[in-house]
Amino acid sequence: MRHRLARAISAVVLGAAVLAGPGAAGAATELTFWSHWAAEMPKRSFVEAAIADFEAKNPDIKIKTTWYEKNALYAALKTALRAGQAPDIFYAEPDQVEYMDNGFLLDLSGLNWDSVEPWAKEAWTYQGKPYGLPLEAWTVELYYNKAKMKELGVEVPPNLQFAPEAFADLVKKAAGKGITPMALGVGDRPFPGAHLSHEALLKRLGTADYGKLLAGKLPWTDPRVVETLTWVRGLADAGLLPPTFSTLKLAEAHVYFHTKPGALMFINGSWYTSRAFNEPDKGGQPLDFQLGIMNFPAVPGAVCNECRTIAVGGSYVANAETKHPKEVTAFFNSFLRPEVGNLWLENVKVQTGIKADPGSIKDPRAAEYFSMIAATNKGAKYFFGIPIQVMTGKPKEVFTQVINNALPAGNITVDDAVRQMSAAY
Amino acid sequence: MAKAGRPAATDDGVRRPWGAILAFLLPALTVYMALTAYPAFRTLWNSFHVVLPRRETFVGLDNFVELAQDDIFWHAVRNTFVWAAASPLIEVTIATLLALALYAKVPGARFFRVAWFTPVLMSYVVVGILWMWIYNYDWGPINATLRALGLDGLARPWLGDPDTALPALILVTSWMWVGFNMVVMLAALHSLPREVIEAAELDNCGWGGKLVFIILPLVRPTLLNLVVLSFIGKMKIFDLVWITTKGNPLWSTETVSTYVYKRAFEWSTFDLGYPSTIAIVWFVIVMIAVLALTRAFRVRDKLEY
Repeated sequence: MRHRLARAISAVVLGAAVLAGPGAAGAATELTFWSHWAAEMPKRSFVEAAIADFEAKNPDIKIKTTWYEKNALYAALKTALRAGQAPDIFYAEPDQVEYMDNGFLLDLSGLNWDSVEPWAKEAWTYQGKPYGLPLEAWTVELYYNKAKMKELGVEVPPNLQFAPEAFADLVKKAAGKGITPMALGVGDRPFPGAHLSHEALLKRLGTADYGKLLAGKLPWTDPRVVETLTWVRGLADAGLLPPTFSTLKLAEAHVYFHTKPGALMFINGSWYTSRAFNEPDKGGQPLDFQLGIMNFPAVPGAVCNECRTIAVGGSYVANAETKHPKEVTAFFNSFLRPEVGNLWLENVKVQTGIKADPGSIKDPRAAEYFSMIAATNKGAKYFFGIPIQVMTGKPKEVFTQVINNALPAGNITVDDAVRQMSAAY
Repeated sequence: MAKAGRPAATDDGVRRPWGAILAFLLPALTVYMALTAYPAFRTLWNSFHVVLPRRETFVGLDNFVELAQDDIFWHAVRNTFVWAAASPLIEVTIATLLALALYAKVPGARFFRVAWFTPVLMSYVVVGILWMWIYNYDWGPINATLRALGLDGLARPWLGDPDTALPALILVTSWMWVGFNMVVMLAALHSLPREVIEAAELDNCGWGGKLVFIILPLVRPTLLNLVVLSFIGKMKIFDLVWITTKGNPLWSTETVSTYVYKRAFEWSTFDLGYPSTIAIVWFVIVMIAVLALTRAFRVRDKLEY
């Protein structure tokens, strides 16, 4: 008898729950959200805090978040988008033009673009319409170990840029003393090795001709291109890079630079901090590490030694088929405030496409870092995007294999590299 | 005419229970049609189209013409053929020697049988990571040994050098699959007719003679099957390359499977037409190669027997 009563009560409660369920769920709009940065805690924490803040202010909207690593996310999205099962909001980078080409992204013209840096909006503008919320931005920076530089008895010039000959001497001097001049590896990324060539080519050609080169409108056989690649190859031949360059992974290259065995320099995106400013036991640089940042060296025959690359990285986009465009726009606009930009700088310690004030940063380590970044970027003329963000298809694949990997590794001659790049277009 | 509900009569008067036959065949046929026949047909269809989300465009033989001029594809074909040709020879030769050693009951045979078979139980992911450590330039045991022997000049990033990356990966698959081949060979050896071997022994035939004139001819069908199986396996190799090198450096380890994946999921396009073309062409090439191998072996069989 007691069991029957208990069963009856359970049935009533269950029935009430079933009846109440749809009503309760229907009260809130749920936005699905897939993001990279599962393991990059500063960025993830920032986004989670932003979501919590948005949900608190908009109790009728819930964000259902799924965190991924980048490759897994991209693979999942390719299938989900085809099947019409993609989330309302997802992570993307501006080089993924195939999303725009196929009409998968929502036109975000309605966002509060006044709070976004114009160059960041430009990076996400495709056929006149903006498609992405440019959260992360970065410049290509040349980091160095101040202690090792002192040990070599070399001083960085006041303008933070070595002349070509002085830089070559520096490389030889470090290599001669058994110090790897530059930590760099392409074991798990398609771009780090190319930083050497693309920054050199940008300076030698200037932004206009460099853009034409990447677009296939200036031949790779152009004498300026050949001379510049020869200069880069000469540095590699002088022992610029570690012998493990071809297999060294990005995280390992960080540790190679600041901890073991220690290198003089390291060329990387300014998101260096997202790994190096972690605790030392989590791959971060030693607490007493003397980090310096200088400009990429002047290039022989350069027309624009102040030219440098700026890129928009991690961003969020909206599914063109979302049933909740207004809610998505509201969510994105919640990021587009200067105080949110400042919070990003303070916590993530990487530049952002949201207008922000680096002067507001309170953390002394982050403040020092951004003052160094400001110094190297003073008077800079920017080219937007690294080559693999600008190129597509076969040129991108050949560039990755040849200019990113084989040329700096010394596995290919300059003539062969130029021939392969020319044939790729 | 058979009455409804009753089995139909055949020419020999036996009634076939078509209803039951259909009921038993239907699940398997459905699975086959849905998961094998349709995808295969769809891949063939795709190869003549540019297949983008929500739109398909017929392009005739354009994809095939482009493929014929695609030097990365031919790079991948060459690498895959080298792998598929070298691996069976290495694996089956070493496996035969190891199986003979176990058949001859060398000391510790039980331990060695387990030890040599163990690698095949591991996934390619684990094997890939393991060998990336072994090949590590700075602290991998291969380079450490070379340095300890004073052969520093021979130390190299084995997976980062275009000259050594493919041989290094071929060695890994050989290491992994020798154990499987060995076990199959051992089973074949144990199933040899005792009386033939004993007759040879009565004729004072030594170990070498027994091996060359009795054992190897008798296990030849097994050997040939292992060669064909290994060949087919290597023509499809993907996992190990993806874990270790992703086709780098300079496409020296690119295989057709990794290239198909790159074109389908890593190229800046949603087009599935071109990757389907690669898959179709490669399917035909593999089919021809396997038929040629089988035919070659069959011809030799006829000559011998």
